[in-house]
Amino acid sequence: MHLDPLDRVLLQQVQDDFPLDPRPYRVIGEALGMPEQEVMERLARLSRRGVIKHIAPILEPGSLGIRSSTLVAMRVPKERMHEVAAIVNEYDGVSHNYRRDGDYNLWFTIAAAGDEELLRTLEEIVRRSTIPPGDVLNLPVVRRFKLDVRFRFLEEEDDDGRDR
Amino acid sequence: MDEIDKEILWLTQDGIGFEERPFLHAARRLRISEEEVVARLRRLGEAGVVRRFGTRINPRKADLMANAMVVWNVPEDRVAGVGAVMAESPDVTHCYERRTIPGRWKYNLYTVLHCRDKADALRRVAALSRATGVAEYRVLFSTEEFKQRPSGRIEPAQEPGRVQ
Repeated sequence: MHLDPLDRVLLQQVQDDFPLDPRPYRVIGEALGMPEQEVMERLARLSRRGVIKHIAPILEPGSLGIRSSTLVAMRVPKERMHEVAAIVNEYDGVSHNYRRDGDYNLWFTIAAAGDEELLRTLEEIVRRSTIPPGDVLNLPVVRRFKLDVRFRFLEEEDDDGRDR
Repeated sequence: MDEIDKEILWLTQDGIGFEERPFLHAARRLRISEEEVVARLRRLGEAGVVRRFGTRINPRKADLMANAMVVWNVPEDRVAGVGAVMAESPDVTHCYERRTIPGRWKYNLYTVLHCRDKADALRRVAALSRATGVAEYRVLFSTEEFKQRPSGRIEPAQEPGRVQ
Protein backbone atom coordinates (compact mmCIF):
# COMPACT_ATOMS: atom_id res chain seq x y z
CA MET A 1 0.00 0.00 0.00
CA HIS A 2 1.04 3.62 -0.30
CA LEU A 3 2.74 4.83 2.86
CA ASP A 4 2.65 8.57 3.39
CA PRO A 5 5.55 10.30 5.17
CA LEU A 6 3.72 10.25 8.53
CA ASP A 7 3.01 6.53 8.17
CA ARG A 8 6.72 5.99 7.60
CA VAL A 9 7.78 8.00 10.61
CA LEU A 10 5.24 6.18 12.75
CA LEU A 11 6.20 2.72 11.49
CA GLN A 12 9.85 3.43 12.18
CA GLN A 13 9.04 4.54 15.72
CA VAL A 14 6.75 1.63 16.68
CA GLN A 15 9.15 -0.86 15.14
CA ASP A 16 12.37 0.45 16.68
CA ASP A 17 11.32 1.80 20.03
CA PHE A 18 7.88 0.81 21.24
CA PRO A 19 7.34 2.39 24.66
CA LEU A 20 6.40 -0.11 27.35
CA ASP A 21 4.00 2.24 29.07
CA PRO A 22 0.33 1.86 30.03
CA ARG A 23 -0.47 4.55 27.41
CA PRO A 24 2.08 3.70 24.69
CA TYR A 25 0.30 5.52 21.86
CA ARG A 26 0.25 8.75 23.86
CA VAL A 27 4.01 8.41 24.44
CA ILE A 28 4.60 7.80 20.73
CA GLY A 29 2.39 10.75 19.87
CA GLU A 30 4.35 13.01 22.20
CA ALA A 31 7.62 11.90 20.60
CA LEU A 32 6.31 12.58 17.08
CA GLY A 33 4.10 15.58 17.77
CA MET A 34 1.02 13.59 16.73
CA PRO A 35 -2.22 13.32 18.72
CA GLU A 36 -2.70 9.96 20.46
CA GLN A 37 -5.95 9.45 18.55
CA GLU A 38 -4.17 9.85 15.20
CA VAL A 39 -1.42 7.41 16.25
CA MET A 40 -4.06 4.78 17.04
CA GLU A 41 -6.05 5.43 13.87
CA ARG A 42 -3.02 5.25 11.62
CA LEU A 43 -1.75 2.05 13.26
CA ALA A 44 -5.19 0.46 13.04
CA ARG A 45 -5.34 1.32 9.34
CA LEU A 46 -1.83 -0.08 8.73
CA SER A 47 -2.97 -3.21 10.55
CA ARG A 48 -6.18 -3.56 8.51
CA ARG A 49 -4.17 -3.22 5.30
CA GLY A 50 -1.76 -5.91 6.42
CA VAL A 51 1.36 -3.74 6.71
CA ILE A 52 1.47 -4.35 10.46
CA LYS A 53 0.87 -7.97 11.43
CA HIS A 54 0.73 -7.12 15.11
CA ILE A 55 2.42 -5.32 17.98
CA ALA A 56 3.60 -7.98 20.39
CA PRO A 57 6.51 -9.35 22.39
CA ILE A 58 8.92 -11.04 20.01
CA LEU A 59 10.36 -13.99 21.87
CA GLU A 60 13.82 -15.48 21.73
CA PRO A 61 13.53 -19.01 20.29
CA GLY A 62 15.25 -20.37 23.42
CA SER A 63 12.43 -18.95 25.56
CA LEU A 64 10.01 -21.12 23.63
CA GLY A 65 12.01 -24.26 24.35
CA ILE A 66 13.61 -24.29 20.91
CA ARG A 67 17.13 -25.68 21.09
CA SER A 68 17.72 -26.85 17.50
CA SER A 69 16.91 -25.35 14.17
CA THR A 70 17.79 -25.97 10.60
CA LEU A 71 17.21 -24.74 7.09
CA VAL A 72 16.22 -27.32 4.53
CA ALA A 73 16.51 -26.97 0.77
CA MET A 74 14.74 -29.31 -1.65
CA ARG A 75 14.77 -29.83 -5.38
CA VAL A 76 11.09 -30.16 -6.14
CA PRO A 77 9.70 -30.82 -9.63
CA LYS A 78 7.74 -27.75 -10.72
CA GLU A 79 4.47 -29.61 -11.10
CA ARG A 80 4.71 -30.98 -7.56
CA MET A 81 5.65 -27.71 -5.85
CA HIS A 82 2.28 -26.86 -4.26
CA GLU A 83 1.64 -30.39 -3.13
CA VAL A 84 5.05 -30.68 -1.43
CA ALA A 85 4.82 -27.16 0.06
CA ALA A 86 1.48 -28.11 1.62
CA ILE A 87 2.99 -31.19 3.28
CA VAL A 88 5.85 -29.07 4.68
CA ASN A 89 3.40 -26.45 5.97
CA GLU A 90 1.55 -29.02 8.07
CA TYR A 91 4.37 -29.10 10.62
CA ASP A 92 4.23 -26.68 13.57
CA GLY A 93 8.02 -26.56 13.74
CA VAL A 94 8.11 -25.08 10.24
CA SER A 95 7.94 -21.30 10.58
CA HIS A 96 9.20 -20.21 7.16
CA ASN A 97 8.61 -21.90 3.83
CA TYR A 98 9.47 -20.19 0.55
CA ARG A 99 9.81 -21.02 -3.08
CA ARG A 100 13.07 -19.54 -4.36
CA ASP A 101 14.96 -19.16 -7.61
CA GLY A 102 17.53 -21.78 -8.43
CA ASP A 103 18.14 -25.45 -8.62
CA TYR A 104 17.03 -26.02 -5.03
CA ASN A 105 13.67 -24.33 -5.21
CA LEU A 106 11.93 -24.98 -1.88
CA TRP A 107 13.49 -23.60 1.31
CA PHE A 108 12.03 -24.02 4.78
CA THR A 109 13.11 -23.82 8.41
CA ILE A 110 12.43 -26.39 11.10
CA ALA A 111 12.72 -25.59 14.82
CA ALA A 112 12.48 -28.19 17.56
CA ALA A 113 13.19 -28.84 21.23
CA GLY A 114 16.23 -30.93 20.31
CA ASP A 115 18.22 -32.50 17.50
CA GLU A 116 16.37 -35.79 17.70
CA GLU A 117 12.93 -34.23 17.24
CA LEU A 118 14.30 -32.07 14.45
CA LEU A 119 15.68 -35.03 12.54
CA ARG A 120 12.47 -37.01 13.04
CA THR A 121 10.42 -34.15 11.56
CA LEU A 122 12.77 -33.80 8.61
CA GLU A 123 12.78 -37.53 7.91
CA GLU A 124 9.00 -37.63 7.99
CA ILE A 125 8.73 -34.68 5.58
CA VAL A 126 11.20 -36.30 3.18
CA ARG A 127 9.42 -39.65 3.35
CA ARG A 128 5.94 -38.20 2.85
CA SER A 129 7.01 -35.88 0.05
CA THR A 130 8.86 -38.74 -1.71
CA ILE A 131 11.59 -36.29 -2.69
CA PRO A 132 14.80 -38.39 -3.02
CA PRO A 133 17.23 -37.73 -0.13
CA GLY A 134 19.82 -36.78 -2.76
CA ASP A 135 17.63 -33.78 -3.59
CA VAL A 136 17.47 -32.57 0.01
CA LEU A 137 19.99 -30.39 1.85
CA ASN A 138 19.87 -30.24 5.64
CA LEU A 139 21.71 -27.07 6.70
CA PRO A 140 21.71 -26.72 10.50
CA VAL A 141 22.82 -23.53 12.22
CA VAL A 142 26.43 -23.44 13.33
CA ARG A 143 26.39 -19.88 14.61
CA ARG A 144 23.93 -17.02 14.69
CA PHE A 145 25.41 -13.63 13.83
CA LYS A 146 22.17 -11.72 13.56
CA LEU A 147 18.43 -12.08 13.85
CA ASP A 148 16.77 -8.69 13.77
CA VAL A 149 13.83 -8.36 11.42
CA ARG A 150 13.49 -4.60 11.32
CA PHE A 151 13.28 -2.41 8.27
CA ARG A 152 14.08 1.13 7.32
CA PHE A 153 11.11 3.22 6.29
CA LEU A 154 12.66 6.66 6.14
CA GLU A 155 15.37 6.39 3.52
CA GLU A 156 13.28 6.58 0.35
CA GLU A 157 13.61 10.33 -0.23
CA ASP A 158 17.29 10.76 0.52
CA ASP A 159 18.54 7.52 -1.02
CA ASP A 160 20.60 8.67 -3.96
CA GLY A 161 21.30 5.19 -5.24
CA ARG A 162 24.90 5.02 -4.16
CA ASP A 163 26.27 2.24 -2.07
CA ARG A 164 26.49 3.08 1.56
CA MET B 1 10.13 -16.24 33.99
CA ASP B 2 7.35 -17.01 36.46
CA GLU B 3 3.78 -18.06 35.77
CA ILE B 4 2.49 -14.45 35.64
CA ASP B 5 5.20 -13.56 33.10
CA LYS B 6 4.13 -16.51 30.95
CA GLU B 7 0.50 -15.44 31.18
CA ILE B 8 1.36 -11.87 30.16
CA LEU B 9 3.22 -13.23 27.12
CA TRP B 10 0.34 -15.59 26.37
CA LEU B 11 -2.17 -12.72 26.50
CA THR B 12 -0.10 -10.34 24.34
CA GLN B 13 1.67 -12.61 21.86
CA ASP B 14 -1.05 -12.27 19.20
CA GLY B 15 -0.87 -8.50 19.42
CA ILE B 16 -2.09 -5.70 21.65
CA GLY B 17 -4.97 -3.46 20.58
CA PHE B 18 -4.87 -0.01 19.04
CA GLU B 19 -6.69 1.55 21.97
CA GLU B 20 -5.68 4.05 24.62
CA ARG B 21 -4.89 1.41 27.24
CA PRO B 22 -3.80 -1.70 25.33
CA PHE B 23 -2.47 -3.49 28.43
CA LEU B 24 -5.68 -3.10 30.42
CA HIS B 25 -7.10 -6.39 29.15
CA ALA B 26 -4.11 -8.42 30.37
CA ALA B 27 -3.98 -6.50 33.66
CA ARG B 28 -7.63 -7.25 34.40
CA ARG B 29 -7.33 -10.92 33.51
CA LEU B 30 -4.34 -11.29 35.83
CA ARG B 31 -5.65 -8.92 38.52
CA ILE B 32 -2.52 -6.81 38.46
CA SER B 33 -1.95 -3.18 37.43
CA GLU B 34 -1.10 -2.09 33.90
CA GLU B 35 2.13 -0.67 35.34
CA GLU B 36 3.08 -4.13 36.52
CA VAL B 37 2.28 -5.65 33.12
CA VAL B 38 4.59 -3.25 31.30
CA ALA B 39 7.26 -3.45 34.03
CA ARG B 40 7.30 -7.23 33.68
CA LEU B 41 7.52 -6.98 29.88
CA ARG B 42 10.46 -4.61 30.29
CA ARG B 43 12.18 -7.05 32.65
CA LEU B 44 11.61 -9.93 30.22
CA GLY B 45 13.32 -7.83 27.59
CA GLU B 46 16.28 -7.11 29.85
CA ALA B 47 16.54 -10.81 30.73
CA GLY B 48 16.63 -11.77 27.04
CA VAL B 49 13.42 -13.82 27.12
CA VAL B 50 11.81 -11.23 24.85
CA ARG B 51 14.10 -10.09 22.05
CA ARG B 52 12.11 -6.91 21.65
CA PHE B 53 8.59 -5.64 22.06
CA GLY B 54 7.34 -4.13 18.87
CA THR B 55 5.83 -4.44 15.49
CA ARG B 56 5.91 -7.40 13.17
CA ILE B 57 5.67 -6.02 9.67
CA ASN B 58 4.78 -7.66 6.40
CA PRO B 59 7.59 -6.38 4.19
CA ARG B 60 5.72 -6.87 0.92
CA LYS B 61 2.84 -4.71 2.13
CA ALA B 62 5.37 -2.06 3.12
CA ASP B 63 6.73 -1.79 -0.44
CA LEU B 64 9.69 -4.10 0.22
CA MET B 65 8.97 -6.46 -2.63
CA ALA B 66 12.25 -8.38 -2.89
CA ASN B 67 13.22 -11.05 -0.36
CA ALA B 68 16.78 -12.12 -1.12
CA MET B 69 18.50 -14.95 0.65
CA VAL B 70 22.18 -14.81 -0.18
CA VAL B 71 24.40 -17.84 0.30
CA TRP B 72 28.10 -17.05 0.57
CA ASN B 73 31.14 -19.28 0.33
CA VAL B 74 33.49 -17.87 2.97
CA PRO B 75 36.90 -19.38 3.79
CA GLU B 76 36.65 -21.13 7.15
CA ASP B 77 39.15 -18.85 8.89
CA ARG B 78 37.28 -15.72 7.76
CA VAL B 79 33.72 -16.66 8.77
CA ALA B 80 33.77 -14.88 12.15
CA GLY B 81 35.01 -11.60 10.68
CA VAL B 82 32.79 -11.67 7.59
CA GLY B 83 29.74 -12.67 9.65
CA ALA B 84 30.33 -9.75 11.99
CA VAL B 85 30.58 -7.27 9.10
CA MET B 86 27.42 -8.56 7.45
CA ALA B 87 25.55 -8.52 10.77
CA GLU B 88 26.46 -4.85 11.17
CA SER B 89 24.71 -3.92 7.95
CA PRO B 90 21.20 -2.51 8.49
CA ASP B 91 20.22 -4.11 5.17
CA VAL B 92 20.64 -7.59 6.67
CA THR B 93 17.87 -9.03 8.87
CA HIS B 94 19.30 -12.54 9.29
CA CYS B 95 22.89 -13.72 9.23
CA TYR B 96 23.78 -17.32 10.08
CA GLU B 97 26.66 -19.68 9.63
CA ARG B 98 25.41 -23.11 8.56
CA ARG B 99 26.91 -26.52 8.01
CA THR B 100 28.12 -27.36 4.53
CA ILE B 101 27.68 -30.70 2.76
CA PRO B 102 31.01 -31.63 1.20
CA GLY B 103 30.70 -32.38 -2.48
CA ARG B 104 27.11 -31.14 -2.62
CA TRP B 105 26.82 -27.71 -1.00
CA LYS B 106 29.73 -25.45 -0.18
CA TYR B 107 27.99 -22.28 1.01
CA ASN B 108 28.47 -21.63 4.72
CA LEU B 109 27.16 -18.12 5.41
CA TYR B 110 23.55 -17.03 4.88
CA THR B 111 22.07 -13.53 4.87
CA VAL B 112 18.55 -12.31 4.22
CA LEU B 113 17.75 -8.85 2.85
CA HIS B 114 14.35 -7.27 2.24
CA CYS B 115 14.55 -4.59 -0.43
CA ARG B 116 12.32 -2.47 -2.65
CA ASP B 117 13.02 -4.53 -5.73
CA LYS B 118 15.53 -6.98 -7.18
CA ALA B 119 17.83 -4.27 -8.55
CA ASP B 120 17.98 -2.61 -5.15
CA ALA B 121 18.73 -5.96 -3.51
CA LEU B 122 21.49 -6.82 -5.99
CA ARG B 123 23.11 -3.44 -5.47
CA ARG B 124 23.15 -3.95 -1.68
CA VAL B 125 24.46 -7.49 -2.03
CA ALA B 126 27.27 -6.28 -4.30
CA ALA B 127 28.17 -3.71 -1.64
CA LEU B 128 28.37 -6.46 0.99
CA SER B 129 30.56 -8.49 -1.33
CA ARG B 130 32.93 -5.56 -1.80
CA ALA B 131 32.98 -4.73 1.92
CA THR B 132 33.94 -8.30 2.85
CA GLY B 133 35.93 -9.40 -0.18
CA VAL B 134 33.72 -12.49 -0.53
CA ALA B 135 33.16 -12.89 -4.24
CA GLU B 136 31.54 -16.30 -4.41
CA TYR B 137 27.86 -16.11 -3.65
CA ARG B 138 24.39 -16.75 -5.00
CA VAL B 139 21.30 -14.60 -4.58
CA LEU B 140 18.13 -16.64 -4.16
CA PHE B 141 15.03 -14.48 -4.48
CA SER B 142 11.79 -15.80 -3.08
CA THR B 143 9.10 -16.19 -5.69
CA GLU B 144 6.30 -17.53 -3.51
CA GLU B 145 5.69 -17.44 0.24
CA PHE B 146 4.03 -20.60 1.55
CA LYS B 147 4.43 -19.90 5.26
CA GLN B 148 5.86 -17.16 7.44
CA ARG B 149 4.95 -16.99 11.10
CA PRO B 150 6.51 -16.80 14.58
CA SER B 151 8.41 -19.97 15.45
CA GLY B 152 6.40 -20.84 18.54
CA ARG B 153 3.94 -19.81 21.19
CA ILE B 154 4.02 -19.48 24.95
CA GLU B 155 1.62 -21.84 26.68
CA PRO B 156 1.02 -21.17 30.37
CA ALA B 157 0.32 -23.99 32.81
CA GLN B 158 -3.30 -22.97 33.02
CA GLU B 159 -5.78 -20.46 31.65
CA PRO B 160 -4.75 -16.96 32.78
CA GLY B 161 -6.97 -15.29 35.33
CA ARG B 162 -7.11 -18.32 37.60
CA VAL B 163 -3.83 -17.57 39.36
CA GLN B 164 -3.96 -15.07 42.22
